[in-house]
Amino acid sequence: MTALLELDEVRVAGPHGDRLNAVSLRLQNGERIALLGRSGAGKSSLIGVFNGSLLPAAGHVRFQGEALASLSRRQRARIGTLWQDLRLIEELSIGQNVNAGALGRRRLPWALANLLFRIDAEASRSCLRQAGLEESLLADTGLDRPVGQLSGGQRQRVALARLFRQQPDLMLADEPLASLDPAIAAEVLERLLTPESDGTLRSGAQAVVVSLHRPELIDRFDRVLGLRAGRLVIDTPASTVSANDLRDLYAP
Amino acid sequence: MRPTAPALVLLPAFALLPVLIVVLNGAHGGGAEILGSFVVGAVSPSMDPALLKALLIGLQVTIATALTGWSCSLVLGVLLGCLSSERLWLTWSLPVWPAIVLRRLMALPRSVHELIWGLLLLQVLGLHPWVAVMAISIPYSCLIARVWRDQLQSLDPSRLQAMLQTGSSPMAACMTALSPAMGSVLVSYGGYRLECALRSATLLGVFGLGGLGMDLELSLKSLQFHELWTGLWLLTLVTIALEQGLRCWRSWGQQAQFGQRQVMGFAVAVVLSAGLGGVWLAHLFPDAGSLIWLPLQWPDFSSLRLAAEELPWISMLWDTLILTVLAAGIAIGLPPLLLLLTPAPLWQRCISGFWVLVRVIPPPLAVLLLLLSNQPTLAIGALALGLHNSGVMGRLLQEGLQQQDNSAQVALTSSGASSQMGWLYGLLSPRSPSHLAYGAYRSDVILRETVVVGLIGGSGLGWQLLESLSSFHWAAVLLLITTYAVLTLIGEWLSDQSRQHWLQS
Repeated sequence: MTALLELDEVRVAGPHGDRLNAVSLRLQNGERIALLGRSGAGKSSLIGVFNGSLLPAAGHVRFQGEALASLSRRQRARIGTLWQDLRLIEELSIGQNVNAGALGRRRLPWALANLLFRIDAEASRSCLRQAGLEESLLADTGLDRPVGQLSGGQRQRVALARLFRQQPDLMLADEPLASLDPAIAAEVLERLLTPESDGTLRSGAQAVVVSLHRPELIDRFDRVLGLRAGRLVIDTPASTVSANDLRDLYAP
Repeated sequence: MRPTAPALVLLPAFALLPVLIVVLNGAHGGGAEILGSFVVGAVSPSMDPALLKALLIGLQVTIATALTGWSCSLVLGVLLGCLSSERLWLTWSLPVWPAIVLRRLMALPRSVHELIWGLLLLQVLGLHPWVAVMAISIPYSCLIARVWRDQLQSLDPSRLQAMLQTGSSPMAACMTALSPAMGSVLVSYGGYRLECALRSATLLGVFGLGGLGMDLELSLKSLQFHELWTGLWLLTLVTIALEQGLRCWRSWGQQAQFGQRQVMGFAVAVVLSAGLGGVWLAHLFPDAGSLIWLPLQWPDFSSLRLAAEELPWISMLWDTLILTVLAAGIAIGLPPLLLLLTPAPLWQRCISGFWVLVRVIPPPLAVLLLLLSNQPTLAIGALALGLHNSGVMGRLLQEGLQQQDNSAQVALTSSGASSQMGWLYGLLSPRSPSHLAYGAYRSDVILRETVVVGLIGGSGLGWQLLESLSSFHWAAVLLLITTYAVLTLIGEWLSDQSRQHWLQS
């Protein structure tokens, strides 16, 4: 069976040494993967290789059997990322930011109309509801509110809704729980990871990778990848990860 | 001694000392009566219907010229700014060298003042209403392109990258990620450029290129101050109306979608203005005809060498630099000095009115006025240029101070400090770096404008340029314009460096 995403001896160079070195792995449909490691271990770099924003100096990256570097932009739209710094457009409204997730599937006149009018409000609302944004912000006046006026937790949900709006096959989340209180963090994880009965994910993706600094949450995942100094040192089902493994991963 | 921010803002005002000493020393008694008539004319402008009709036609020419020149330069400037942005070329996965080449090519047209463009185009195209429009459009479009490109380059690239990651086309990604931030630049900087265009169109008129400026110059030279003030008050009213209109436009659009519609509306207005302005000019000059290019004799190497030997380079450059330094000192130091006298609201309003007045009077007219009662000296030019630019800086400073958080000022006055000291320490101090940064930019503009007062005042590069143009000495014209452009580009670089220094402090 063709892997959803495949890395083969990938190396990513950095200014002070390799960010990733000889990383090989295969992601399959239906997998919910936790990506662990200390700060600077290479988690964000690996996410960057997954979504094609970081080009490897060596090795191969294939998405659904095709070289990632040669994918058309519509094919690239099948990989969606929830960025650590969210990357919302501050001057645009909630609705406009959520709709921006659909730019890969829409044409230029739609993109222009999104800047001027409230369009596809129901689709935005559905994604925001799925992301858990409070109902008061789902009314028309709420959708028109600039994201710059929202709290950190609300902005996180708008970024999540944008990811849902993109409808990618592979969802990547780079430290989505940083700066969130435990209740909101648990809710965000639930929105990303809840499976359907047929093995797919409620979010609509075929697989999801979440980088974390909270090893206590790995029981919600199927598989754990652990990075240390740019090398993949753990690649195992989540149920088999031991306390020793985690201690070695996070040791100074 | 290490002067800190508010002191550094006030120190440049010392330039007033030598200037005022020279001006007062050079004053002659015969001028006092003339200046008195000038002041009286302010409160009793002529309301002669024939004069008003003539001035209104002149004002229409000025406004139509400004509007057409502004809108053409804004459209062209945004386009050139995008094409000279390496970021946009990279977004389309294209090599960046065309952007770099274009940016270098735009340096020369940008560095030549619109008045020089006007005088040059007058030589090759003759007297035609579109000469003034082109004189404004050429340097303005390159200035706008530079600002547009710098703003594009300074934006956080991660948002654009995030949009491209969704599979968006480069055009849709740029529109979504960049246009919201660039839209506010378009409205604020575009509005500022319209005010500049109005001043430039008036200035071009003073030198015979049509419009209200011509009427003002004639009134001044014939000492008809009542008529002069009628024209100045008309211009003041238009300037105030424009400022208020732009302020209303900027404050409209609090919600995100309305903000984008505001920008789209502004863009549409710009494009329509180009057409409307052209139609308006055609209506005002029905017999203008089409532009005809007159033959120009290019100088050969030997005539260039001869001209280089004849020109008094050292005195010209020295005069230009002294003029710039003194005028910049007055422009930077005078506004905070006047505001420091008292923070009383009535005084602040009077000062606002003063800024409007000195902004409206073009520097060459101010020089002509001062020459009525004074010997021609560099100080005259420095005072005229400094006062005019202090009007621009003063208005910006006042607007910035009004938006400033005044909690520090309140704390100081409540602990016993005088209102002046509370204002100086609590309000001006946090504003000082941005005022000095803008002062650095404004000094660059003043350097460009020295040629304008030089044309009238008989000093520096400007005077030599006018002499050479009048005698069709093209070799000297070419050398002088090249020197002027090089000086301006050096000044631009220096002002960029000091502006970055103040903004980072």
